[in-house]
Amino acid sequence: MSTDPRFLIVDDFSTMRRILRNLLKEIGYNNAEEAEDGVVALNLLRSGKFDFVVSDINMPNMDGFALLKSIRADEKLKSIPFLMVTAEAKKEDIVNAAQNGANGYIVKPFTKATLEEKVQKIMQKNA
Amino acid sequence: MGHSDASSLREIASAANTGSAADRGVKVWGDISNPVPSQEPAPARGDSNVAESPDPEDIYHRIGQLTRTLHDAMRELGYQESLADVRDNLPDARDRLAYIARVTGDAAEKVLNSVDRARSVQDEISEGAKNLRTRWTAVAVYGAGGERATPAGVALVNETCEFLANLGKQAELTSAILTEIMMAQDFHDLTGQVIRKIVDLAQTLEEQLVKLLIDATPEEQRKKAIDGKKPEGPVVNPEGRSDVVADQAGVDDLLASLGF
Repeated sequence: MSTDPRFLIVDDFSTMRRILRNLLKEIGYNNAEEAEDGVVALNLLRSGKFDFVVSDINMPNMDGFALLKSIRADEKLKSIPFLMVTAEAKKEDIVNAAQNGANGYIVKPFTKATLEEKVQKIMQKNA
Repeated sequence: MGHSDASSLREIASAANTGSAADRGVKVWGDISNPVPSQEPAPARGDSNVAESPDPEDIYHRIGQLTRTLHDAMRELGYQESLADVRDNLPDARDRLAYIARVTGDAAEKVLNSVDRARSVQDEISEGAKNLRTRWTAVAVYGAGGERATPAGVALVNETCEFLANLGKQAELTSAILTEIMMAQDFHDLTGQVIRKIVDLAQTLEEQLVKLLIDATPEEQRKKAIDGKKPEGPVVNPEGRSDVVADQAGVDDLLASLGF
């Protein structure tokens, strides 16, 4: 993992993208890009170098599950850490996310401490 | 709401073709329209005579009556002004909800902009205080040993240093408060998802009402594609539900129990 990891924040609500970007900055990660859905995210991931994906589930065009599956099926992208940050609180979704290769799952609303804990944990595991 | 309407209609449509569901169809429409003309009481389930040798003529006759009742009821519904009003008002309701989503979104963006500006000002103040404190500390050291320093001057320097030191701590507190204000803006995402779901529901309902009013045929309703499974969005009432988690601890416990 790079010393200044590059994050991709995927959420259809600009407010949430901004909150996540600012929180990551407060945690110490200043390098982040944004995408409003899975399609845009996948294009960005395939055209640039990213070290970490923070994604919502419920989005138009391509949702978070489809994005996760596409990433895990892509030879070049499959090892990127993927953290779900979503309002979906169904156990079925949480289990699905884990089984499809998500590295973490946060339900909204969440706190800065929760985000920091999950990101750091994933970073340590992938160091 | 929309889905239950749709399932009722599918049920009725299905009832027109299947004898086993006919009783249910009659019951649904019996609440809001003229019931099917009274028939002989339906034999109880398990009646060996009916189960083994149903009279096809009788079944076709009953299906025909049921279908006629269904057509009439739908036509009557089509003439009901209240139903048409509901249909006409749905686009307005959707627009209003979309307006709420837009206005609350704008408000959240404004707050985030203000938080960013306040944080920038706060950073400048902190940085300025830090620099001044360094310089005043140097003066304090000089003043303590200098011949020209008066007791009042030394006290003033020390108090200024203390004030500047506290300013740094207060800046940390202000920064934490700004983070809280920023985090509170996640309401836009959470309420926005709920609003979008209601807007979609209103759209579905509107489409169904329009079809009901114009077509008024069960065959058309049967052709409606059954909606696929969609994400639910924020859970507005997790109490009493076993299929959702109530908080982040629930997520962590579930994943841990599965070995993730």
